[in-house]
Amino acid sequence: MAFIGRAGSADLRSVTHPVLRTFTSIVLVALVATLFITTARGQSLQRLTITQLTLASDTTTPHLEVPFHLIVTAHVRERISELDNLDLPILAELELLGDEHTLVPQGGGTTYRETITVVAHHSGAITIAPVTLDAIDARDGKAKRYSSNSLTVHVAGLSAVAVTVDAWQGIRAFFAGLVKVVLLLVGIGAVIFVIAALIRRRPPPAPLVTLAPAIPVVRDPKAALREALATLRREPTRAGAMRARSIVRRMVGASDAETLADVLRRPLAADPSLRDLLRALERAGFTHDADLGVAVAAAIAQLEHMTR
Amino acid sequence: MNTNGSGPAIVTRALERTIVGQEGVIEGLLLGLLCSGHVLLEGPPGLAKTLACRSLADALHGEFKRIQFTPDLLPSDIVGTRIFDQRESAFTTVRGPIFANVVLADEINRAPAKVQSALLEAMQERQVTIGPQTHPLPDPFIVMATMNPLDSEGTYALPVAQMDRFLLKVDVGYPSRTEELAILERFAIADAPVIAPVATLDQVREWRAQAHNVHIDDALKRYIVELVVITREAQHPAIDYGASPRATLAIANLARAKALLEQRDYAVPDDARSVAMLALRHRIGFNFRVSADGGASRVLEQLIAKVPAP
Repeated sequence: MAFIGRAGSADLRSVTHPVLRTFTSIVLVALVATLFITTARGQSLQRLTITQLTLASDTTTPHLEVPFHLIVTAHVRERISELDNLDLPILAELELLGDEHTLVPQGGGTTYRETITVVAHHSGAITIAPVTLDAIDARDGKAKRYSSNSLTVHVAGLSAVAVTVDAWQGIRAFFAGLVKVVLLLVGIGAVIFVIAALIRRRPPPAPLVTLAPAIPVVRDPKAALREALATLRREPTRAGAMRARSIVRRMVGASDAETLADVLRRPLAADPSLRDLLRALERAGFTHDADLGVAVAAAIAQLEHMTR
Repeated sequence: MNTNGSGPAIVTRALERTIVGQEGVIEGLLLGLLCSGHVLLEGPPGLAKTLACRSLADALHGEFKRIQFTPDLLPSDIVGTRIFDQRESAFTTVRGPIFANVVLADEINRAPAKVQSALLEAMQERQVTIGPQTHPLPDPFIVMATMNPLDSEGTYALPVAQMDRFLLKVDVGYPSRTEELAILERFAIADAPVIAPVATLDQVREWRAQAHNVHIDDALKRYIVELVVITREAQHPAIDYGASPRATLAIANLARAKALLEQRDYAVPDDARSVAMLALRHRIGFNFRVSADGGASRVLEQLIAKVPAP
């Protein structure tokens, strides 16, 4: 390509038309030949001297829902423009966000580096299968399958996250985490000590206003049921039923965006009477208009039974 | 709403007496029957797919036909042909195996595209043309096509447009240990028992009318639309293309049928969510990284879970 550029910029102005045609033909022939060679190469294994094939992660502390990178590195002694027959593992337990690769001539050969951006949606150990590369070994001419190391990622929700490529790295990561925790505890202790010392020196502030009693975080279930009953009696419509449904769902720790099956799986919804009530409210929320009155009446009856 | 035990649930119970486990397959067949839709069953051989289809036909007192798809099958082997009768000196029509209430198209991806499209056209039009005459197919008419995911050599993958014609796709899995033990005890000596008819084809038509009249609230309709739209708008790296509006109609119809199976005349969000996977899985283009077993279903489950229910 560089040769074409040089010719086009300097020499072509002075050459005659037949020369230009001949030159263009040579370039076309060269391009077609390159295309043939590339196709033939794609259909067979590459002849390579592979010196490195590894699978690694860019961080030892990947967090839940935070993207991180898996890095595949391969080094071959040959100068190549592409690396065929490299099989990446199926990342079924991770969500794939992106994938890019580079080929860089390095150390008398070529280094291939593929960076896969992924994110984990659940915590725990995730094992990523090895990367494989099929090639003809240039040293003995035999077709071989090269395999990288596998990678186990321990994704933790908020705190300790460990990535272990081998047992020693795991132990190192564990001790590093332990040191961090100890340092954190020492830091917190020091801050508490300083704050306590400052409080002891200051006179206690005089109360200026009397605060209203705080609203309890955990609601009384009976009160919630009474509220739902009052709502449904005041407004015996579909909208009222949906409001009552919302109150009862909050009572068991569920949101409006969950389906009834999700709500019924919650431990607080284990009571049979409560389950019947949730089903009655679901019916009142979604039944057809002709059945709405009966459905609302059934929900009210169930609420009355439970608030008695 | 029929709640006294003579609804479609009696067919479910009849099938459960013959088939051990495979609740998903049984429910899928019933949903397809109630929605006048066709069912694609994907799973390894030996998982009672044929038995389930045959049992469904027996339970309904319907006619059952099985077509084994092979590379040398011709469209006329399915729809029928006209032959010359020398005694009468006239052409007579010989109807193919597609003229049945329940048709099992076994290993549909083993036949070339011409044969597949002949079947799928008949599925869509519910009639076939043999020579100059057009013949309506029986009512009810349901095609259950099977595909084996393990052995893809020498197969002709169904194009996207043809996959879209199946109302739902059921992934048939292996039974649990307990279920396999029950299979061993039930079928080790005797063959599978023949199911006595528990319903008539007229009843099936009546159930379909009931399913059609199941109420879907406006909020639930919006939820169904969101379930489909998220497959197109989520920009998920594993998805090449999302589901078509036909999927929206499929989920709505399946949710109605599901409500009828649960003996309700109104659908709830759970109905839509529980059938979404059946209607969407084969209508979404997943890229090669997740097309392998399990990955695509997990991606779809995550997307469905992201849509807030009404």
